Amino acid sequence: MSAVWRAARAAVKRRRLQTVVIGLVVLCSTTTVLLALGLLDAVSNPFDKAFEQQRGAQATVVFDAGRVTPGQLADTAARPGVQAAAGPFDRATTRLAERVPGLGDGVFQVVGRADPGGPVDRPALVGGRWAAAPGEIVLNQETSHPVLPGLLGSKVRLTDGPELTVVGVYTSMSGSADAWAVPEQMAALHPTARQMLYRFDSAGTEQELDRSLDRATEGLPAGARTAVNTSFVLERAFSASAKAYLPFMGLFGVLGLAVSVLIVGNVVSGAVVSGFRHIGVLKALGFTPNQVVGVYLTMVSLPAVVGAALGTALGAALAEPVLRVAFQGVMRGTAEIGISPWVYLVGLLGLPVLVLLAALVPALRAHRLPAARAISAGSAPRSGRALRVQQWLGGTRLPRAVSLGLGQPLARPARTALTMAAILLGVVTVTLTTGLTSTMVAYAEAGKSESGPRLAVWAGRAGFDQTEPKLTDRQAEELLRSLPGAARVSADAITEVGLAGYTQPGGGFFRRGDQDPGAARQIAEGRMPTGPGELAASPTFLSRRGLSVGDRVTLQLDGRRTEATVVGRTIDGDGRFLYSTWSTLAELDPAAEAAVYQVQLKPGTDVQAYIDAVRAADPGLYPQPADDGSLPAETVVSFASVFTVLLTVVACLGVFNTVLLNTRERRRDLGMLKSIGMTPRQVTVMFVTSMAALGLVAGLIGIPVGMVAHRLLVDHVGAIDFPAAMKDVWHLPGLALLGLAGVAIAVLGAFVPARSAARLTIAKVLHNE
Amino acid sequence: MTTDHDRDRQVVVRLDDVHKEYGDLKALDGVSLEIRAGEAVAVMGPSGCGKSTLLNMVAGLDRPSAGTVQVNGHDLGGLNETGLALFRRRQIGMVFQFFNLLDDLPALDNVALAAQLTGTPAKQARHRALELLDELGIADRRNTYPAALSGGERQRVAVARALMNRPALLLADEPTGALDSRSGEQVMDLLIDLNQIGQTLLIVTHDPKLADRCAGRLVEFADGRVARESVLEHRS
Repeated sequence: MSAVWRAARAAVKRRRLQTVVIGLVVLCSTTTVLLALGLLDAVSNPFDKAFEQQRGAQATVVFDAGRVTPGQLADTAARPGVQAAAGPFDRATTRLAERVPGLGDGVFQVVGRADPGGPVDRPALVGGRWAAAPGEIVLNQETSHPVLPGLLGSKVRLTDGPELTVVGVYTSMSGSADAWAVPEQMAALHPTARQMLYRFDSAGTEQELDRSLDRATEGLPAGARTAVNTSFVLERAFSASAKAYLPFMGLFGVLGLAVSVLIVGNVVSGAVVSGFRHIGVLKALGFTPNQVVGVYLTMVSLPAVVGAALGTALGAALAEPVLRVAFQGVMRGTAEIGISPWVYLVGLLGLPVLVLLAALVPALRAHRLPAARAISAGSAPRSGRALRVQQWLGGTRLPRAVSLGLGQPLARPARTALTMAAILLGVVTVTLTTGLTSTMVAYAEAGKSESGPRLAVWAGRAGFDQTEPKLTDRQAEELLRSLPGAARVSADAITEVGLAGYTQPGGGFFRRGDQDPGAARQIAEGRMPTGPGELAASPTFLSRRGLSVGDRVTLQLDGRRTEATVVGRTIDGDGRFLYSTWSTLAELDPAAEAAVYQVQLKPGTDVQAYIDAVRAADPGLYPQPADDGSLPAETVVSFASVFTVLLTVVACLGVFNTVLLNTRERRRDLGMLKSIGMTPRQVTVMFVTSMAALGLVAGLIGIPVGMVAHRLLVDHVGAIDFPAAMKDVWHLPGLALLGLAGVAIAVLGAFVPARSAARLTIAKVLHNE
Repeated sequence: MTTDHDRDRQVVVRLDDVHKEYGDLKALDGVSLEIRAGEAVAVMGPSGCGKSTLLNMVAGLDRPSAGTVQVNGHDLGGLNETGLALFRRRQIGMVFQFFNLLDDLPALDNVALAAQLTGTPAKQARHRALELLDELGIADRRNTYPAALSGGERQRVAVARALMNRPALLLADEPTGALDSRSGEQVMDLLIDLNQIGQTLLIVTHDPKLADRCAGRLVEFADGRVARESVLEHRS
């Protein structure tokens, strides 16, 4: 066993508490950083990987079959910049005559393809096989989850088209169709468009992709290109909800890293400073300066490696539920949501390396220190401003234990600065989390009903082994309104709808019935649509299309068009959907029917009795209590709370370590103070005061920093547009309480070592020098 | 004529069959000792004989394994840590071999500290500290930090601090052990002067000269026991 290893092991044993502190700090930080990096990785890597495996289409382009010939389209495959192309494929826009499980209502896009292979877009098999002959159809499923029982072999009836047998289920990362049939089948489906799938040499950015697509389709007749879906749009849809969490995770990850570096730097500096005599002895024994550095680096590496390993394991355990929440409801195709090995590698190796780097600076100080000076270190007189402040404090009316405590931080300015920075980051975290929680609670409240329970009543679907309603759409609405306890009833139709002039795919929720007065709380700007030709949409929907409140758009569905005005921007919502009125939908689809009814019950209504009454009146109606919970709000608040606890614990550990070092270094002073009558309580007050003062200063600086961080964060969550009222969460009493956060962190961290110092038997230190 | 009762009242320190063990090591092994008001007692003996342990017991810095320690009527065994601190504050002044001054306070504040811990206002404490420094001849060094004081000056500051709260008993642990002979002489003179104005002294030392000059009674320790007690004629 080498001398360095032996000395390091002995140092670890001697400094058990410091070793535990380093281990815990690294553990907490590793977990925080791993979750942040894991999410960052998961929002891009799984999609990219699955997309590349399927040779996904960077651009899925729909052309008007009346304006461009198959030959013209085939020629585009050879244009400069086109790396690979597939098509042209006939594309028919039709509708399902009957609902099919796993497929939405409304428009149904069928593309004619002979096989799932080819140079671009290779859908992955989920179950069954590809269509081999007319009369067969292959469905595109949003995930690679097992095929629903009974789906294979079932019949799909299309309006104005033949009945087709489902022979296979595939999943396409390119989302190039709702279903596929053999090319020979397409004539019977009356295709009006042709589809081309492209991959380009240059498509690193949206601008590059647009340029490449323009070059490929140059010379085609004007207006031939009717819709484009790009890999960027698909990637955004995949990662949008998870990305909403990224700023939170990223910020907390950065805070975690910063606190770790500060604490580790402080712990190691303290170990070196308090170990000057030890360094001197090592050098006197013949240890070379490099060996001394080796001893100190090994000493911190051991707990760092153990902390990183445990932190990585904890992070891995937490990652699964975190990712499940972040990717809930996302169309993921064959993308496996998980964390790449490099993230674990960073957790396992990165943090220990960071610890080593943080330890290197003070360890190099040990390297330079002459043995004689090291052995005699510890009693060097201090001078300058710090002493004058001590003298001034001694003359104040403060109790002497308090004034001595206030003077302590001046004795070790660097250690004080590092400790204060750690407390400051703790205060920033607490402030940020308090603000976030207030904002997210207000956001969640906006989505809740004002009073009384709420129900969503779904119309039954035969394909889901459910009974079809015997009542018509309007009769069902009347029934729900007439049953005892109903306060308000509205009906929603959900359908695909296009915006003329915009190539992005989209859909809409169209509502009729009683207005919900609470809906106004979900509006960030403007108002909810109430009349014909009015719509509202999420910030994501509007920003992707360059729209804002007041703009006029043309909605189109199956060749019908109607004008509408954007009258409101919602706080949040799916970037693919707009919200409008039934009267607006009536212009596009007079025969539209509601898919779901929203029922607001009066307060105190027996929900089960209402449900039973609905089921008894029409077994084809399926009432479910509406989920008033807000997943993003709950998730963010939960994450923020967990991170705050972790970072607060880490900051407290930093304070703990500082007080521990101070009490060790000041053992002789402590002994003297006790010998002249300092009571245990005064000792505790002295050490706690020394840190509380730092906590107070850190609080005064940390609160405004935390407030700024909160504002930056809530302003940059693209998927949610918080109204000003939700961002203005700061009030004087709350801020005053937050002001105590730094003091609380300092006192929590300092109390135990201070109490321990108060109980210290100091007889020996007074007699030995 | 002195009655038994009067004699009891005059006892400042009473140790009765005091034992102290650190694991297997017997630091004190049945020590019984009395020190009366105004006495100057020197405790001598080889290293490890239990002298400093005895001092710790009397100062309430350590607790005996068995036996009782009474100082100025206080049974130290019955006091908790806070009680012991208050006892030290009011009854004991301590002088150490290595001075044990706070490096970041000037001489005046080091002395004033002892009074300030009792709640004496800073101004009043500094006034009294200055008086003491003046009496000990180092008032001109009041704003000097310990690192810039000579060994003798440091020890005089330490003595001033020990006297700050007018203690019933002054304990001195090798008070000249870290001083050159001239400074040592000055400190000896100081201790003699203090004893002459009635200050009770308990001095632990290796130095026969210190014991001879400053003490009226010599207690010799060996293996944790009182080996011999003698009255030093020249001071009696």
